[in-house]
Amino acid sequence: MAGQSIERREVLRILAVASAAATFPGFSKWSFACGHIGKKLAQIKPAVYQPLFFTSPEYATIERLTDIIIPADDTPGAREAGVAEFIDLMVSRDSNLQPDFRNGLRWLDMHSKKTSGQPFMKLNPGQQTALLEPLAYKNKFRPGEEAGRKFFARVREYTMLGFYTSEIGLKELDFPGLIHSYAVSPSCPHKDDPEHRHLPPAPALSKS
Amino acid sequence: MIPNIVIFRPHPRFRNHKSLMPKQIYDVIVIGTGAGGGMAIKTLCEAGLKVCALNSGRRLDPEKDFRNHRMSYEMKYRGFGDPKTRMKDTPGFLDSEYNQGAWEHDIAFTTAPGTRWMWPRCSAVGGKTNFWGRSSARFGDIDFRAATLDGYDVDWPVAYDEMAPYYTRVEKMIGVSSTVQNRPSNPDGVYLPPFNFRCLDMILRHGCQKVGVPYLPDRLAQLTEDHNGHPACHYCGDCTFGCEVGAFFSSPWFLLPAAGASGNLELKTNAIAKNILVDDNGHASGVAYLDRESRQEYEIQGRAVVVAASCIESARIMLNSKSRQWPTGIANSSGQLGRNLCDHLYATTASGYLPQLLGQPNFPDNITGNTIAWMPRWQNLEDAHEEKFIRGYSVYPDGGCAEFPWYYDKIEGFGSSCKQEIKRRYPTPVSFTIQAPTLPSSKNFVEIDPEAKDSFGIPQARIHFEWGDNELRMFQHGKQMSADVFNSAGAVLEYAADEPEMPGFSLHETGTCRMGNDATKFVTNRFGQTHDVPNLFVCDASVFLNCTDKTTTLSILAFTLRTNEYLVEQFRRANL
Repeated sequence: MAGQSIERREVLRILAVASAAATFPGFSKWSFACGHIGKKLAQIKPAVYQPLFFTSPEYATIERLTDIIIPADDTPGAREAGVAEFIDLMVSRDSNLQPDFRNGLRWLDMHSKKTSGQPFMKLNPGQQTALLEPLAYKNKFRPGEEAGRKFFARVREYTMLGFYTSEIGLKELDFPGLIHSYAVSPSCPHKDDPEHRHLPPAPALSKS
Repeated sequence: MIPNIVIFRPHPRFRNHKSLMPKQIYDVIVIGTGAGGGMAIKTLCEAGLKVCALNSGRRLDPEKDFRNHRMSYEMKYRGFGDPKTRMKDTPGFLDSEYNQGAWEHDIAFTTAPGTRWMWPRCSAVGGKTNFWGRSSARFGDIDFRAATLDGYDVDWPVAYDEMAPYYTRVEKMIGVSSTVQNRPSNPDGVYLPPFNFRCLDMILRHGCQKVGVPYLPDRLAQLTEDHNGHPACHYCGDCTFGCEVGAFFSSPWFLLPAAGASGNLELKTNAIAKNILVDDNGHASGVAYLDRESRQEYEIQGRAVVVAASCIESARIMLNSKSRQWPTGIANSSGQLGRNLCDHLYATTASGYLPQLLGQPNFPDNITGNTIAWMPRWQNLEDAHEEKFIRGYSVYPDGGCAEFPWYYDKIEGFGSSCKQEIKRRYPTPVSFTIQAPTLPSSKNFVEIDPEAKDSFGIPQARIHFEWGDNELRMFQHGKQMSADVFNSAGAVLEYAADEPEMPGFSLHETGTCRMGNDATKFVTNRFGQTHDVPNLFVCDASVFLNCTDKTTTLSILAFTLRTNEYLVEQFRRANL
């Protein structure tokens, strides 16, 4: 595909963004920004994050939940992407969300104590997963856990929002926009197969 | 490069001393700087008339205010905007962190009991053209003569042959990328090369062919080639957040610079038009406006006034312009001012994914930020009463690798398997949005709230609106057709909306100052000149009889060009 990267644009972005961004909450986990291809900026030493809204124990639980929802496997997960910091920032600015999270966290610990005799963070990873599965999968739903399901859906929503808007998340998806620009509008490379029934397995898309 | 617009700012010493300001009578005062205002300003200034333009908000600086090239993680709230200050009940792409600061927050409106209405307004210079969707189809005789064809409401007072030359000139001015399509509902124009089809377009077109639905390149006011000194698109993909190089039409990039260069424009920013002033004869003599920052009221004088503040705001300004001669609002002897508010019903008629593309490498599908293709009206073409509804709708397909995987909520659960499925599905999502016109109805109108005033002390607009049966039948029809297309394209259908989006969502409201030959039934004549007040003109979608199945901007430009050449002619003949 005919393509070209635009130097000017990259330069503009770096200028516009680099100075301001390192000070944003939600970024202490990873070196800010400008993770441009072929460029490594100095890593910022992660500071201990001071939550804006959550108490320390609440924050630890939120971070653990994000880690369970999008774990690190072959690629980094929500913890590495600092998703809990993003959630804390958004909740701190949204009074409608605050009760959802605070009451939900309380429900989670009460539920955990009721079923396992321990607060959620004291459970081992297998117990934590077992507790969350009935909140997350329709065929495992149980009556009486509506509040828990609502809370889990909320945490999951904000984990997705936080992860797939982070640099790590967009790399995970290989988001093709913005980074590249093109001389002509990119077109389908499979003109002889309009139905796309016979695509080659995972061919590489060249972005020169 | 920043467009060269002349900014008029009184010296601070004089700001609070009206009497010290030089008394000037402009040829024309134009309220608004969007598609209508911008085209009016350009046409008038280039004809040598002295113009004062009022814009309710500030001027944008493309390099600072258009954040379209930023990655989400380069913004504090990841592009979503600060939940505390963002407008509520607004589509995510409006008033987001990419274009915050350009949207109206201070001028409130009310709704009648039972009415839901969202009214996002871009108060920045250039208005909504800064961030618009760029779809640019001509209206045709199937629209102008719709009443003759199906017996509902009245025909437009213009015919396509009369409008065609104006459409051609506008298309040549702004650059529209598309193809000649020979569709009965869509007259063809003058086009730059189209955007190329992506994988998802190829698959959907194949599916559409099997069920007899057209799937064609949309008409986009977005440049596939350099055009009149404006650079071709570089396909970065965040167009709806503004273009810092001006590769798609917007008033500040395409219209206002020429007006500024003429030396005939004085642009007052943060100037909120309050009412139109009249002389002893009831003719327009000027405009009263409030400075947004100082809240000081000013008056300026002009020989003619062009109202181009957008459909509802234009009606509000005119309804608020009460005088001895015009006790119910200026140019409202017909009682039709504010009436016949129309809007496009928008709804997701189908969304899901293309399994053919699962796990395929990513493709820059978002190169236009939204539509590359459209499914232009195919209903009621031969016989106006073929379907269970009259007139017709269009559908816009969208999909592919977007900046955010919104389909995540279709994949349940958590953990690695969920993460991998999100990745596998990334190139596959597709969705269809219906654009269905409401029919003019006596139930849908704008009036002045008898009590509520906005923070500037100006009486607020009160909106009455509900969907009618015809557009709801189109919505149901659209869902069935979308399901058929999904099925024949081999797509997996996961969702279709039960309810349309909130009224106002499309930002395509029309009506309120409809044009027609009968002064007792219409606010303006066929040239957009008000029947009652010969030196008052309306230049936005409020003059349209209804909203058709097409978007409004191209037609606002074409009608405004015509209106303002007529206005210039009136000056030459010394009628104004």
